[in-house]
Amino acid sequence: MGKKISRRKFLKVGATAGATAALVAGCSSDLRPYRRSLEPPLRSPEEALPGEAVWYASTCGQCPSGCGIVVRVIEGRARKIEGNPEHPLNRGRLCARGQAGLQALYNPDRFPSPVRQSSRGSRDFQAVYWDDALDLLAGKLKEADPQSVAFLGGVMSDNLFDLASRFMKGTGAAPPVVFDLLSALEGRTTLAAASKALFGVPALPVFDVGQAEVVFSFGANFLETWLSPVYYGRSFGNMRRGRLRGRGYLVQFEPRMSMTAASADEWVPVKPGTEGLVAQAIGKIVAERRKAANVAGLYKDVVVGDVADASGVSAEQLGKLARIFDTVDHALAIPGGALAGRNNGLEATLAVQALNVVAGNLGQPGGLSLSPDVPSESLVTASVPASYADVQALIERMKAGQVQVLMVHGANPVFELPKASGFREALGQVPFVVSFAPFADETAVQADLVLPDHTYLESWGYRLVAAGGDRPVVSAQQPAVQPLYDTRSTAEVLLNLAQRLGGSAAKALPWKSVREHLQSAIGPLQALPGGNLHAASTDAFIEEWQSHGGWWTTQEKSGAPGASKEVLSSTLVVPNADFAGDAQKFPFHLLPYPSILLSDGRGANQPFLQEAPDPMTTVAWNNWVEINPKTAAKLKVTTGDIVKVTSPQGEIELSVYVYPGIRPDTVAIPVGQGHSDYGRFAQGRGSNVMDLLAPLTEKAGGALAWAATRVKITPTGRKATPMLARTESAEGVERGFRDAENPG
Amino acid sequence: MSSPTENHHWTMIIDLDRCTGCQACVVACHVENNVTYVGEEEVAMGRFMHWLLIQRYWGGEYPNMQARFSPIPCQQCKEAPCEPVCPVYATYHSEQEMLNIQVYNRCIGVRFCANNCPYKVRVFNWFNPQNPEPLDQMLNPDVTVRSRGVIEKCTFCIHRIRRAEEDARYEGRPVRDGEVQPACVQACPPEAFVFGDRNDPESRVAKMAESRRGFRLLDDVGTVPEVVYLKRGVTDVEGI
Repeated sequence: MGKKISRRKFLKVGATAGATAALVAGCSSDLRPYRRSLEPPLRSPEEALPGEAVWYASTCGQCPSGCGIVVRVIEGRARKIEGNPEHPLNRGRLCARGQAGLQALYNPDRFPSPVRQSSRGSRDFQAVYWDDALDLLAGKLKEADPQSVAFLGGVMSDNLFDLASRFMKGTGAAPPVVFDLLSALEGRTTLAAASKALFGVPALPVFDVGQAEVVFSFGANFLETWLSPVYYGRSFGNMRRGRLRGRGYLVQFEPRMSMTAASADEWVPVKPGTEGLVAQAIGKIVAERRKAANVAGLYKDVVVGDVADASGVSAEQLGKLARIFDTVDHALAIPGGALAGRNNGLEATLAVQALNVVAGNLGQPGGLSLSPDVPSESLVTASVPASYADVQALIERMKAGQVQVLMVHGANPVFELPKASGFREALGQVPFVVSFAPFADETAVQADLVLPDHTYLESWGYRLVAAGGDRPVVSAQQPAVQPLYDTRSTAEVLLNLAQRLGGSAAKALPWKSVREHLQSAIGPLQALPGGNLHAASTDAFIEEWQSHGGWWTTQEKSGAPGASKEVLSSTLVVPNADFAGDAQKFPFHLLPYPSILLSDGRGANQPFLQEAPDPMTTVAWNNWVEINPKTAAKLKVTTGDIVKVTSPQGEIELSVYVYPGIRPDTVAIPVGQGHSDYGRFAQGRGSNVMDLLAPLTEKAGGALAWAATRVKITPTGRKATPMLARTESAEGVERGFRDAENPG
Repeated sequence: MSSPTENHHWTMIIDLDRCTGCQACVVACHVENNVTYVGEEEVAMGRFMHWLLIQRYWGGEYPNMQARFSPIPCQQCKEAPCEPVCPVYATYHSEQEMLNIQVYNRCIGVRFCANNCPYKVRVFNWFNPQNPEPLDQMLNPDVTVRSRGVIEKCTFCIHRIRRAEEDARYEGRPVRDGEVQPACVQACPPEAFVFGDRNDPESRVAKMAESRRGFRLLDDVGTVPEVVYLKRGVTDVEGI
């Protein structure tokens, strides 16, 4: 079809050819004016207009941060996910995991219907009807003592969290325990506990990196997976652009050069566990330079020389860094998840947050603020999950036979919890286990009944944005496509179960449908001033909310924290970090870290995330152990050799990657591989580092101390087969850039 | 402003000061352009299909280590070494867009072009793409699914360029600056990429291409690439 075809001729062709719509869709550009007028004779559903894309605004479900997305749907099929340009959190931007979300929806290894398993671990899944499956579960719930029913949640939309909480309360059971590995690696509970101690509110902190001049990040991998990576990625770009205040300066303190450290201007390889001490020393010097009386008490016992000895950062360098931090008007300090992963996590986090008090940036542009209050009482948020101590308590109850029915949603505890936590064994003591997983993950394989939830691209919901952004946001989630299979949203399942159980459960969940519950939660937002949506009726308001992808205020509005004078005037002691394992027998610190692509392992069944190379090592489809070149030479191993990594808790085998950016006394392993199940793309790749971890907790808050285990490395003499898959060439390994000071 | 009848000069700017190496562009490109995955063994053999690869360079020695990232899409060279070696005219230069075009149904798979490309951005389909059902439902209908024996490479998302041109023509206006966004540009969280028409002197790329930080990859080879990199900046800490 050429450009020169006339309208008359075109219509003639169209009439004779019959299949007009398909023809129009395939025609070249000049015919476009006729597209809209030539519909099939029967008015088709909007998504079936051939060749025309329909865009649905929704919320990403690949991690808990809640970025706004728009899904491009052509002929009823989702083709592409993009960032929602209106959404205040990500402003049209989206990370690798968000982009790959279609491979969760169209994953070939989904459960097509509810299934029963003849015996746990048999993988002999028998399809059952929804009615029978729900009858079965309702029967088990009726039989069981309400106290013996438990709900273990993970990454879930907030409306489901609300329903699950009400359901458990209505039946007289303990509230859901929400725990997932990514949130533990982010240190969410510790961050909230630090906010509670210092600012009196247990809210997550938000850091305005974009307008800061100097940023000191203590182990916060905020460009990778930490809290809200797209928000922080955007902020980082703004900091580099530095329109207002010139180019910003980022210093990263951590034992291993993460991707965030690679983007920083300076990387300070501190000894693991001493980040809090370094923050103390810098704070003391800055406070002295500024003659800040309000924090004088805080640093009374800090001796800079001692910190230098403990951390491996010289007193001179500490002084220089403090000077940089002190000189600018907009300095910012960020406490990362790795701090929370040790037994001194709370104190270390407080020490870093105190730096922000010293810098005087609370609530300021380029400073620290707290995530905004929940805008309406009709909404709830699960942004601060349960601590690991709560999970341990649940495991104890399971071991003691006090749990008759366990429901698991959005988490994969068999894979995500340290093997030494004993969860797997405790599961054997639970007579009836229900999983809501859409995929056959390690936990679903140990369940009696699987009631597969929709994927996030097929579900209704809302999510409060708590870990980033500059204003309150209630992000909308709506189905982009019809459910692919005979799955059912867990929110709907809970409503249904409540009806079957009757009594107080039915009273606690009075809604007839998920939409009705959603309306009761979202409706009250209409009355709030300063919102982005304007509608005459509640129904119209909900529609607007869905089509724009959420509700938010048009003006920036963040919580400006006030620091507790009590905390600032009393001495803050950061105790020495304890590590599991004898330093002689286990000479290396083990630093697990979340993979930027697979996060805590939930991305491992998406082939695009497996295929995309890890940014630092360029390895795809596997995991590895990172060893400093000098250490590797001592151990006589090189990249591609297989070694045994042994901790007091267990051992795994992994390929070596000789990593120039890591301390000689530390080895690092990415989390996310080592699945024994979870579909064809995930299973049988690499090893799960969680098998090595000691189940330690941070003392004050009970968070999982995931960076506090020591290991030893033993060469096996074998090489990886096939070779460790890397996109860097053999030449690229050796080749550096010409001028390290001024590359390019 | 560029008018729809005029020729375009599509240019990409990649600001290395902002690139964090996060792979958002790589995955976005896979999804948008139906670029298949090949699995561990093939990646190990160097047969990966990424149209856009983020190269990572190490510099210095511990503890004064540095790492740098550099996203490398097809450079759309004006004097493209891949073009004259194609025996079947499957790769040629489009005068209208100033782009290096790959015609899949002419390609006979001799791979001379890939061999001749100094940037190593051309990839070869050693096998038919794998899309176990229902993964095939996410394929983008705007982009051909290539089969075994064909070379492919970054197109600057030419289907998006065409769509924008079509929209502009329909509305009787020139293509607006920023209207065309290839998938990688659109996804990038720190906004390291800028894309536009350099024939429009008011466009962002026309201005940024003149930046003092600007450089082109392997400039001395004489390929005249259309991707302009901006080198990393330095903050004068002593002077803060």
